[in-house]
Amino acid sequence: MDKSEDKQLGRRNFMKVAIAGIGGLIGAALGLPAIPYIMGPALQKESDDWIQLGSISKVELNIPTLFKKTIETQTGWINTEEEISAYVLTSNGQDYVVMSNVCTHLACRVRWIPEKDSFFCPCHNGVFAKDGTVVAGPPPRPLDRFESKVEDGVIFIKRG
Amino acid sequence: MLVKIGDWLDERFSWREVWEAVFMRKVPHVNWFYTLGSATLFVAIMQGVTGILLTLYYVPTPDHAYDSVVYITTQLPFGWLIRGLHHWGASATVVLTVLHLLRVFYFGAYKYPREATWITGVILLLVVIGFGFTGYLLPWDQKSFWATTVGTQIAGLAPFVGDWILRIARGGRDISAVTLARFFGTHVWILPATLAALIGIHLYLVIRIGITAVPKKDE
Repeated sequence: MDKSEDKQLGRRNFMKVAIAGIGGLIGAALGLPAIPYIMGPALQKESDDWIQLGSISKVELNIPTLFKKTIETQTGWINTEEEISAYVLTSNGQDYVVMSNVCTHLACRVRWIPEKDSFFCPCHNGVFAKDGTVVAGPPPRPLDRFESKVEDGVIFIKRG
Repeated sequence: MLVKIGDWLDERFSWREVWEAVFMRKVPHVNWFYTLGSATLFVAIMQGVTGILLTLYYVPTPDHAYDSVVYITTQLPFGWLIRGLHHWGASATVVLTVLHLLRVFYFGAYKYPREATWITGVILLLVVIGFGFTGYLLPWDQKSFWATTVGTQIAGLAPFVGDWILRIARGGRDISAVTLARFFGTHVWILPATLAALIGIHLYLVIRIGITAVPKKDE
């Protein structure tokens, strides 16, 4: 009697372990691939090609000048056109600074207001000086700068 | 610690009673054919999980459906696996549901007091076929387009109400963006809700009444 009961328990425990093992295996076989499947698009690297913004001849000394460039990008299965906007500033006609127009607070787009001599963000009243430093409002850091180069009077930037 | 949490929850939910009723219930000595119902439930859950994952990327409009499916299959990590499981799982669900039905039929398990279990099971078979029919259109390729053309055309042959059924199924005279959207909505909302409700009743009855023993020779 005791012996057979031991046997019963052994069988029951074996089944428990087998069910947990096989169940865990199936769960892992489906659950683990699901993670990269969900995260895939987030991990995709952006291209680091030079983007041609345009001729620097229109940039006047000490006035941030807006450049707009439409580039083709692929998001998921859709080929779309994306417009990149950047402000180019030079103080001596030799060295150029290219600033992003994305507010460092919460990513609204800033605009250069010539009358106020500053960048203004309409979302939360962030104000930046012409070199991008924060003058007022909530932005935690100056406007981001693009890596840039000038070749034959044409300015290029790198995203990223 | 785990035991303590279990006790705390049990005091409030009585989950051990439910666990006992579901998993520790007495069953007669049966054979492997009796696992077909569980197998069907398993693939149904798999279809649910992989289907939910597919909706993260799939877009049910004529200009995006096919491209989003290609994107899932070729661009996403393990997208081929998720879609493959859903694709083959669809056939497996139909096959297993039918085999389960045949087991119940040949073992006479549909008789009193299990008629309601049988009836919900037959409706579940229809729901599964509905899943297959609506899901087939979603990749929006040549095969799915013409299969749905033929399928809805067959429905249109029904006497008197045929044309009416065809127009409701297609959402108009022809297969269009409207058809794709309604097939998708049916596939991911109406049918899953129906399936979940019916499986709930079906399983409740299986557990409440218990399963049949293998019939003896003289029965």
